[in-house]
Amino acid sequence: MLAMNKKNFLGTVCAAVALAAVVSACGDGTTRSTGLEFSRNMYDPIAFNPDQPNKNFKNGITAQTPPTGTTPIGFTRFDYENSVEGYELAGAEITVNPLTVTEQNLKEGHALYVTYCAVCHGPEGNGDGTITKDREVEDSRGKRALENFPEPPSYQKSAGTPSSRGGQMSELTAGKIFHTITYGWNSMGPHASQISPEDRWKVVMYVQELQKK
Amino acid sequence: MRNISSVLGKLAKSISVGLVLLFAVTSVSNAQDASNGGALFKANACNSCHAVGRQLTGPDLAGLTDRREESWIIKWVHNPQGMVDSGDPQAVELKGKFPTMMAPYSHLSDDDVRDIIAYLQAEEAKAAAKKEQAAAQGGGAGGSQGASTLMIVIVSVLVVIVVGVSILLSRITKTLEKVIDTNKESIDVATAEYAARGSKFGQFAKAFVRNKKLVFFAVLMIVALLGVVGWKTGWNVGVHQGYQPVQPIKFSHQIHAGVNQIECQYCHGGAFKSKNASIPSANVCMNCHNTITAGDHYDNDSGISPEIAKLYRAVDWDPETRTYGNDTRPIEWIRIHNLPDFAYFNHSQHVVVAGVECQTCHGPIETMEEVYQYSPLTMKWCIDCHRETSVDTDNQYYDQLIEAHDKLKKGEKMTAAMIGGLECGKCHY
Repeated sequence: MLAMNKKNFLGTVCAAVALAAVVSACGDGTTRSTGLEFSRNMYDPIAFNPDQPNKNFKNGITAQTPPTGTTPIGFTRFDYENSVEGYELAGAEITVNPLTVTEQNLKEGHALYVTYCAVCHGPEGNGDGTITKDREVEDSRGKRALENFPEPPSYQKSAGTPSSRGGQMSELTAGKIFHTITYGWNSMGPHASQISPEDRWKVVMYVQELQKK
Repeated sequence: MRNISSVLGKLAKSISVGLVLLFAVTSVSNAQDASNGGALFKANACNSCHAVGRQLTGPDLAGLTDRREESWIIKWVHNPQGMVDSGDPQAVELKGKFPTMMAPYSHLSDDDVRDIIAYLQAEEAKAAAKKEQAAAQGGGAGGSQGASTLMIVIVSVLVVIVVGVSILLSRITKTLEKVIDTNKESIDVATAEYAARGSKFGQFAKAFVRNKKLVFFAVLMIVALLGVVGWKTGWNVGVHQGYQPVQPIKFSHQIHAGVNQIECQYCHGGAFKSKNASIPSANVCMNCHNTITAGDHYDNDSGISPEIAKLYRAVDWDPETRTYGNDTRPIEWIRIHNLPDFAYFNHSQHVVVAGVECQTCHGPIETMEEVYQYSPLTMKWCIDCHRETSVDTDNQYYDQLIEAHDKLKKGEKMTAAMIGGLECGKCHY
């Protein structure tokens, strides 16, 4: 009787352990829930995070857009309007980069260029960034080609590409490039919210180096 | 019957595709040099504003020769503003329709412009052929209509089956009730016998309780099991590793960071400058998606991916007129990495100063179609890394630190103010 019981019992334990092992090995370790939580109020912020809804504001958003006409601390104003006239004026009035060309500035300009520009304009400014080329993705929806972004014109002198606003791409002045980064042009969107004015001048510095090629 | 018609349809389509291709080839070889036109179209960056089959910054160039005379096009390319000034009705209409004025390309010869027109015609024929081919292969819109009728048929068949089964079941129940009624006596006898015998489980339980060793072993096993489960659960309370919530837009990092090779900081620029890596505002998405609609994979009328349409809804962008409206509403992304409020973490310190790769903490993000939390974000996890990582001392912070130590060694006076004691944040935080 006992022997039978022991066998039965051991069999049950083995089955349970095997089942537990199989169940715990299921899935890829991802879950839709945050799992068991304790004293959540110690973890949640008391102040509002920028990405949280907020009843204190009329539009219910914590991250408010700064009022028009204000300039954040550490920012310099760029008083040229978002128009062809503003572009021409900025191009005529600002022909020299306010930052001095140093190795450090060029290095930072290059790093910023790689992050914010190269994906379309290409690493050398030839207009051959990765998203302008044919490419394919394979995911849960199968294998398919991705849409190409229209190639931007090359900055390089050797390419001799004309600008869509007249003149050569390689002859664009510092003010014109800065205006374009700030407000965007044609298919290019405005990058003012991503790159601070000082960083924009560093990018301009690097682009003007590419223009010489 | 249906099969025959579809086969005929496919045959007709493939023949028409062949004819279109043939026509394209002959027309191109007869007329101008389309390959030269293509090179010029690229070299002059026409393609940054114009495309065939869709409107970008400039008008759609499909069917250009149907709308305009060749001489008009040449004149326009050489001097668009001049044509507007001279009061050409078509030029004035274009000026009113598109806010940006095309620059003059006077260095292109008449033949150059003709080559470009030939190239555009070839591109149009190519696109049409591709479309026909796709329609012939996939059955196109007709296929999806067929699918919906098929659905209706399936649903009605299912309804018929369900009704039939329920009728059958009610019949069976009635028959069984009759059987019970007729055999009532023998059933009662059998039930009484079963109750008198005592259940098998009862016998087993009695024998089990009498065996003290077995009871002790069983209790030990239960305690051990509870201990292991409790230990594992306890350590994972509030740990969100593997958390993969459903986001409002099916944004794929695999496409954007992996295939497109967009730098992480293009969107998460806050990682360079602040504590937060920041979720990009929708205007950053629009930098590319004012042009990229990914419509070719969807069989809808608008030609826009339904996920990108959600973005357009959020920023109130009209892809037809390419303008923004005022009725914006935020995209409510669900935060995946929830660091407790009592722990301070700064992205810029790790990304800029220490030069830690995003993937070190966030895992193979460039292969994730849907992002999940890769690291546990527990204190142990932070500490393990801080114990192993060697510090790059080649910066001003350590220069100042060594300078301060040298001063102390020499016995010079050092006040709290000299080592940052006047910083506002030391008291007011």
